[in-house]
Amino acid sequence: MSVLPLVIIIPLLGAFSLPIVGLLGKRIREAWALLISGATLGVTSKLLYNVWSTKETLVYTLGAKSPIGQGVNFPVRIVWEVDLLSAIMAFTIAFVAFLAVLYSIEYMKHDTGLEKYYVLILVLELGMLGIVLTGDIFNFYVFLEIMSIASYALVAFRNDTWEGIEAGIKYMFVGSLASSFILLGIALLYGQYGTLTMAYLAEKMEANFTLTGKIALAFLIGGLLFKSGAVPVHMWLADAHPAAPSSISAMLSGLVIKAGGVYVIARIAFSVFGMAVNMKTLGWVIIFFACLTLIVGNAMAVVQTDMKRLLAFSSVGQIGYILLGLGIGLAAYGTKVGEIATAGAIYHTVNHAIIKALLFMIAGVVLHELGTKDLNELSGLAKAMPKTTFAFIIGAAAIIGLPPLNGFASKWLLYESSALFNPFLGAIAIIGTAFCTAAYIRVLYTFLGRPSEKVMDAKEPGAAMLLPIFVLVAAIIIMGLFPWQISNKIMIPAASMLANIKGYVMAVMGGA
Amino acid sequence: MIPFQFITAFLLVFMGLYAFLYKRNLLKLILALDVIDSGIHLLFISFGYRLENNVLPTAPIYTGYETVKAPMVGPLPQALVLTSIVIGVCVLSLAVALTINAYRHYGSLDVNKLRRLRG
Repeated sequence: MSVLPLVIIIPLLGAFSLPIVGLLGKRIREAWALLISGATLGVTSKLLYNVWSTKETLVYTLGAKSPIGQGVNFPVRIVWEVDLLSAIMAFTIAFVAFLAVLYSIEYMKHDTGLEKYYVLILVLELGMLGIVLTGDIFNFYVFLEIMSIASYALVAFRNDTWEGIEAGIKYMFVGSLASSFILLGIALLYGQYGTLTMAYLAEKMEANFTLTGKIALAFLIGGLLFKSGAVPVHMWLADAHPAAPSSISAMLSGLVIKAGGVYVIARIAFSVFGMAVNMKTLGWVIIFFACLTLIVGNAMAVVQTDMKRLLAFSSVGQIGYILLGLGIGLAAYGTKVGEIATAGAIYHTVNHAIIKALLFMIAGVVLHELGTKDLNELSGLAKAMPKTTFAFIIGAAAIIGLPPLNGFASKWLLYESSALFNPFLGAIAIIGTAFCTAAYIRVLYTFLGRPSEKVMDAKEPGAAMLLPIFVLVAAIIIMGLFPWQISNKIMIPAASMLANIKGYVMAVMGGA
Repeated sequence: MIPFQFITAFLLVFMGLYAFLYKRNLLKLILALDVIDSGIHLLFISFGYRLENNVLPTAPIYTGYETVKAPMVGPLPQALVLTSIVIGVCVLSLAVALTINAYRHYGSLDVNKLRRLRG
């Protein structure tokens, strides 16, 4: 019995049974949400271990033993297909979501309607897990919409404030338009090739890649760049991520833009279109957007006065790094440089999920204790909240990429590969980091400065908020201690499995 | 020659896009999203339509299909569109709920009034 179906079953069952269980009391409801997300974490870690130790692509067919239809030699059923990249993403999603649920218990204590909140947070986790597991392109669309609808609702969760509503409406319209583009791309692919299984699509497109296929690719990549918040379509992100409750901001910035954006771009560019399209052209298109995103995102972060908005723009910048790695991985497909770049992108995805979740949780602590996220009023926070400030210093140093922490290894892989591929791109990546450093140094300077009146009577938050923060700090430090072991043992194999397109196709198609 | 259903579908999509870009009322924007979706649904459905030997296709109802001489309509696009319509209803209802809340906070349905967030 494979563990694969449990990854979806547990959060799905948990989410919709939560209102019933919640009738027993507030404490039991929170414990149930924690239990479900913890069980999901356990199942995904088993999945990651299975895939990592066998280095084989797992295939699960819904409702039958084999995806191939009776009497025909092509797949007709919905398949889930998990390679190492999917397993790493699934584990990261479950880990950060578990900590976000733990953090919400205290952070959301004063809000009402919490049973809806916990249902939505579990549905959001479920949608992301589905996206990374699926091997069927329409099934992917369904999970994408599950994730998107949950995140629209969560951004606008505090509907008594204008901020949440306005950000929710902007996010919702942009996101729905992007989803429509993706659906149009899927429709065109279906019309041309008559199948929805990713592996079979890849095989058919290799044989005959038509103009319709190219148009479909353009729609898909366009929609996914919207969803991942790449410049020039990043404005919704800078509104939506700060307006959401901080536990949700941590999930949106850490996970949603990656699972629903960058991961799918990688999957579609490599596994579906990889054998048909001219990889060099596609790679350079992605590199172009990556460079824009890298510079604009990090530069905009420097001038923000709102702490959460600064973090949101920083997320845009870091997405630029991940896209840069992917683009180089595509443009230099088949070479060592391409493999290192892809590994760097995957590594940075995981690292950024952990770091940005930590930073948003800290912003949430500050907002919770002081009622403001305006950097001009937070001067001298270090005196009143030393633990929080320590965690922020670790997070900021990690996102800048200082050596003993986890951000260093992934950024090093990206600098190295981009400099080897094209020195100009390496220079752009370094300039982006310079802006990023400036933004975070400014926040630290504020925190360590002269204490202001408002800050003096602030207290450290309770244990339920500090615990997830320090788990993330520990994760950053521990991952920072073994940078090359992680990259050689996990990230490089993930990159080579992603680059092994034939293997992905054969896992579903069998010998046929 | 491009079949007329495809042209209609893309006309619907572009009409929706036009409305989405140039209309300023929140309710009209929601309708625009719906029109785009309808266009895509029409495109999907028309992929299932087959005309063989000038005989009109029948609906995919499986009882007594042995006696039917005409070609069958592809059943898969219809299942996909059904799923997509359900998703569309979710988005639509959430959008309307948010619009009601926006009207409560801003006293207007004009998107240009929703400009309090910087950026």
